[in-house]
Amino acid sequence: MEDSPSMDDHQDSSLVVGVGLCDSAPLLWRLQDLKTARRLGLVGALLGSLPRTPRQNQRLGRPLLLLPEEEQLLRDEEAAGALPGPNQDVGGAELRRQFEEDQQRSFEEQSVLALEDRKSALRRAMTSSHTGSESGAEAVDEALRGRLEALDHSFSFPQSAMAVQLSTARAGLSYCPEAWAHLQASWPIREQNNPRSDARYQVFRDLRGRGFYLTSAGKFGGDFLVYPGDPLRFHAHFIAVCLTLDESICLLDVLAVARLGSNVKKTVLLCSPAPDGGVCYTSLQWSGMV
Amino acid sequence: MCICQQGNVQVFYRDLPLSIQDGYERFLSSATVSLQQYQVFGHLKRLGYVVHRFDPSSEPSSYAKQLNLPQSRDRAGRQLKRKRSPSPTATCSYTEAQVESTIEKMEEDKCSLEGDDAKKLAASPDIQTATTSGADEGRSWWMTDDLGASDKELHHSPTSGSSRWDFSSIPFPDVGSSERHPSCLAPPEPSLLPGDLTVGVCDIASWRRKINLRMVKMSSKEQKREKDKRRRRWDVNKDREVRRCRNWAEYHELLARRQRKRKGRPAHLWNREVTPLHDPKQPISTGELLDKISVIKSTHLLEGASRLKGSEQWRICFNVYQPDTVVDFKKSNPGKPYSRMCVCSFDGPVPDLRAIKLLAFQSGDIPVVFAVVDHGDISFYTFKDFQLPIDVFP
Repeated sequence: MEDSPSMDDHQDSSLVVGVGLCDSAPLLWRLQDLKTARRLGLVGALLGSLPRTPRQNQRLGRPLLLLPEEEQLLRDEEAAGALPGPNQDVGGAELRRQFEEDQQRSFEEQSVLALEDRKSALRRAMTSSHTGSESGAEAVDEALRGRLEALDHSFSFPQSAMAVQLSTARAGLSYCPEAWAHLQASWPIREQNNPRSDARYQVFRDLRGRGFYLTSAGKFGGDFLVYPGDPLRFHAHFIAVCLTLDESICLLDVLAVARLGSNVKKTVLLCSPAPDGGVCYTSLQWSGMV
Repeated sequence: MCICQQGNVQVFYRDLPLSIQDGYERFLSSATVSLQQYQVFGHLKRLGYVVHRFDPSSEPSSYAKQLNLPQSRDRAGRQLKRKRSPSPTATCSYTEAQVESTIEKMEEDKCSLEGDDAKKLAASPDIQTATTSGADEGRSWWMTDDLGASDKELHHSPTSGSSRWDFSSIPFPDVGSSERHPSCLAPPEPSLLPGDLTVGVCDIASWRRKINLRMVKMSSKEQKREKDKRRRRWDVNKDREVRRCRNWAEYHELLARRQRKRKGRPAHLWNREVTPLHDPKQPISTGELLDKISVIKSTHLLEGASRLKGSEQWRICFNVYQPDTVVDFKKSNPGKPYSRMCVCSFDGPVPDLRAIKLLAFQSGDIPVVFAVVDHGDISFYTFKDFQLPIDVFP
């Protein structure tokens, strides 16, 4: 595992996206990887809880799950590198020492902040009681001032009250954020060889090449949802259904998907990769009775 | 894993804290809890549900449940499916077709009137052989004389099969007609006579004198009436089926058949192996009649489910409890879950009836929800048992 790289390597390494495998699903963990992927036009899907607001499902956090087509695209453009796995325990003792140092430092910072916090709270209590009723104010005031002074001497910030940071991305168990900044763009070939997935990949690549953003469309009965721009800014225009040219579909299936498309106000695209490398598109729109 | 993500728990591994990524990669695999299952778990937890792992052995069996509560099973409603059988009315014809094809042809029965437009159908071999044997018996005294002689074939066609008489070659004496005036009849063939009987020429002049050969003189009105009567009168000899009868036994059979048909018990319905399900003369309520004629028996989801063996592919993963029941919820005694989750994906197969039955059986009386994971989106589907309404008033 490499250590911190030189500056000119940093430029190259930022284009290589580190992908981790979990249960044979490709996941992106590091923030710069997510940015890179988005810049390449790959949307993916966020899976994790958002740390600040964990109890909701509208906005999720890292990791980002890639579509198999997105993973294949990264591999073809040599922009994906494998993150080291969880069982690589490199430099164990060194890491532990470093971890403990970091913890100690964090503890000291936090205890200072906690003391400041306490003091300002007491001061606030004093001033508010001062502006309040006059009669018992003097005694309260004295008590508070006494406590304030005692605080400086005997404040102890318990270890158990310390805020601990859980890192999302693994930093090699080393707390070095620059670890794996430089990744070799090597990603093992993991494709499934069936004509359906080939067709899907061809269509994906073609549409991505034309500038569309694509996400998965299982709940719309299709293969991809096609957005004219970033999904955060636009609604999807098309539902893409990928078929091979020689595959025959039942008319009832065509009817069903056309009906569905018209109900959700999207155009259905039947996409088939042509043997010459291009992709042939047919759109279905419900025009009603003539 | 989930509470780790929610920031409540820090897991230490070899004295160093695990990052979330580590947690994912270490804990989630298809052998333990797959990524998809974790996604569903996280989704539900974030919404506030209480989600526990499903343990099939801890579920009380349906028998155990029965001991506690009497299960009130509503009678499964019957589905309506009328069989396309023709009602045995008098307008339906009967056919003389083969016995085997009668059942299939019941729907194809064409109504025909007892008339000239009746379709001419081939006689079945059974009836044919029956009548052949009958006719044979009637003629046996005759034929035994002629069995050896092959030259005496004047009066009937070859004895091997057909039994038709050629009436054109058999001269029946017409004593009453006025055209011919034979004063005597020729003697019959001596071979036809028994024994040594010889018969001479017969003089019929005296009998002819006894016959009234005078033409009836009718007025024009009477003549017209006679003509009309003749026209309207149904000549029984014009009936094709009667003509097909070769002897009196057959004719009686024909009459009996027609009689039965008139009475509503045609032979082709009631005299075969397969009879109608219900005699229309018997009283029966509509509900019972529907039961009798129903082809598809209605069933409910759990029927036959106890015999099914478990499958690797379809398993119930979680018990889900609603968030507002947290008050009565204890980890040791969670109570009845709100639903059970089975996690699958859009890439995999749709659950077939066998899988649904199996999961419903494992789950007991709690609905099974299929959580279909699609790269970050989760859709929930469930199947409900449903009974079609029946239009029967008891």
